[in-house]
Amino acid sequence: MFEISSLTVSYGPNVVLRDVSIQVAAGEILALIGPNGAGKSTLIRAVSGVIKIESGEMSFNGQDLSELSPGERARILGVVPQARPLGGAFTVEQTVLLGRTAHMNWLGRARPEDQEAARWAMEKTGVEHLAQCRNAELSGGEQQRVLLARALAQQTPILLLDEPTNHLDLQHQINFLALVRDLALQGDLTVLMALHDLNQVSTYADRVALLVAGELVALGSPAEVLTEDYLHTAYQTQVKIISDLDGHPPVILPRIV
Amino acid sequence: MIRKQPFIWNSVLLFLALVFSVALGAVYIQPGTVVSILLDQLPLLDIPTTWPDSFAAIILKVRLPHAILIAITGAALAGSGAAYQGLFRNPLADPYIIGVASGAGLGAVTVMAINWPKDLLGYYWIPVGAFAGSLITIAAVYSLARVGRMVPLTTLILSGVAIGTFTSALTSFLMLNSNDQIYRALSFLLGGSSLSGWQPVLAAIPYMILGVVLLIFSGHFLNVLQFGEEQAKQLGLSVERAKAFVIVTASLTTAVAVSFSGVIGFIGLIVPHLVRMIWGADYRRLIPISILGGSSALLLADILARVLLAPQTLPVGIVTALAGAPFFLWILRRAKTEVFW
Repeated sequence: MFEISSLTVSYGPNVVLRDVSIQVAAGEILALIGPNGAGKSTLIRAVSGVIKIESGEMSFNGQDLSELSPGERARILGVVPQARPLGGAFTVEQTVLLGRTAHMNWLGRARPEDQEAARWAMEKTGVEHLAQCRNAELSGGEQQRVLLARALAQQTPILLLDEPTNHLDLQHQINFLALVRDLALQGDLTVLMALHDLNQVSTYADRVALLVAGELVALGSPAEVLTEDYLHTAYQTQVKIISDLDGHPPVILPRIV
Repeated sequence: MIRKQPFIWNSVLLFLALVFSVALGAVYIQPGTVVSILLDQLPLLDIPTTWPDSFAAIILKVRLPHAILIAITGAALAGSGAAYQGLFRNPLADPYIIGVASGAGLGAVTVMAINWPKDLLGYYWIPVGAFAGSLITIAAVYSLARVGRMVPLTTLILSGVAIGTFTSALTSFLMLNSNDQIYRALSFLLGGSSLSGWQPVLAAIPYMILGVVLLIFSGHFLNVLQFGEEQAKQLGLSVERAKAFVIVTASLTTAVAVSFSGVIGFIGLIVPHLVRMIWGADYRRLIPISILGGSSALLLADILARVLLAPQTLPVGIVTALAGAPFFLWILRRAKTEVFW
């Protein structure tokens, strides 16, 4: 069980996350939603250890994450960041192999198991045919899949993704999210994913956390959180939710003003 | 073929550059003879002597130590240049351009002004001063050039130029106040390699071995750092420690180069850049190949410096600047469009 309890993060005098508590189980996808600036990326960055937290605890199966060195943390948490750069001069294979950093020695020598993990990750994400291409030659969608491959190569029990479908076309969005769902189910992966597209959330998330201005407003199943009331409060936009679609998850439509 | 075997090709190039560097001079000695004289020094080989004794003396007492010192200097400059480029994620970082070499020069000249080296121990002290100078300079340049989490090209070069000019001025001031050594120190700082004989070589070697080993250990850190500090940390790198390690290492190797050959520009810029173009951006290879290639490159520049206006010898720093400054401008133009990192 991955637990975040009473997490508070500030940038100077601005509190950007206030007292957020979330639990995610193995095999579960928890989607983080909320308007721009709600603190989704901040939450992911705080959990991954790149920004300081003011108070609160984060643990995985009872292990306190804040006590870990970057190397130890990278064996538990794999991150697909939203930010670039992607080291344009490196090849895809070199990039994915660097996902094994936490397992390598000082010289960064790839052992057979590192090669194997990288090959598996490239195969899963469908980038193995690009292995020898330089990152700069890739499309945005391909780069996104390389970042996922790099995180998968870490072979961690937890995967954090920050708006991973932003640069993808429709086909790749669906494939990407289906892949993440399969990995979660088959690999017992714990997934925490910030997403903008509420219909993707409705389709792929097991549970949803709604953040507004740094506070956790709602936490529950998609049916519980993706309601007209909550979404109107969060996004200041009227939406209509259409369910009863013969097994298809509910669809969220903004009302035309 | 060249692409696949960088170490073999660069070793061959280095060997040829060494032989020609030793062969050329006021008295020309056939490269074949040079090789024979060198092989004759090996304990188990007995080669019939077909050359005058003076040849052996010229080579072993004068030219060989000079050539080795030049090779060490080139290796140190190119290796530290590659490390600085990786650290700043900036294709124009070079110990000279970012002012570190001038800072090391100030440190070295300070030590020389206090105590001009008379014995091997005296030579050992120079890199200590140079190392202190380079560390202080890099700290100043880095904190000046930093904008948030980035070290942009423009601020890096500007603060490098400012700090470099400032330390050069301090160095001039220091030299003008220690009159009997003005000439020696001046030609030293121009990259004239006024130090000669085996003592500076012997003094440089232990520092250089340490520097090379540490540089090779930096390769993997630099690879991970190419993705930015945040991603590097998420991948499991202790970023602050890795950066400190690379800074100390690159400053140490710069200090070794400057201590014994003065301030020589652009080798640390050109060599890693060419290596990157031919053999790719993986720092675990880029650094050792740059070290090898830097030796050859500076030996070739030194040969030119001795041949161009023979019998006069130019300071080698002038040759590298003549070749390097246009190269710098070329990269500056390309840096807008090309992907380095």
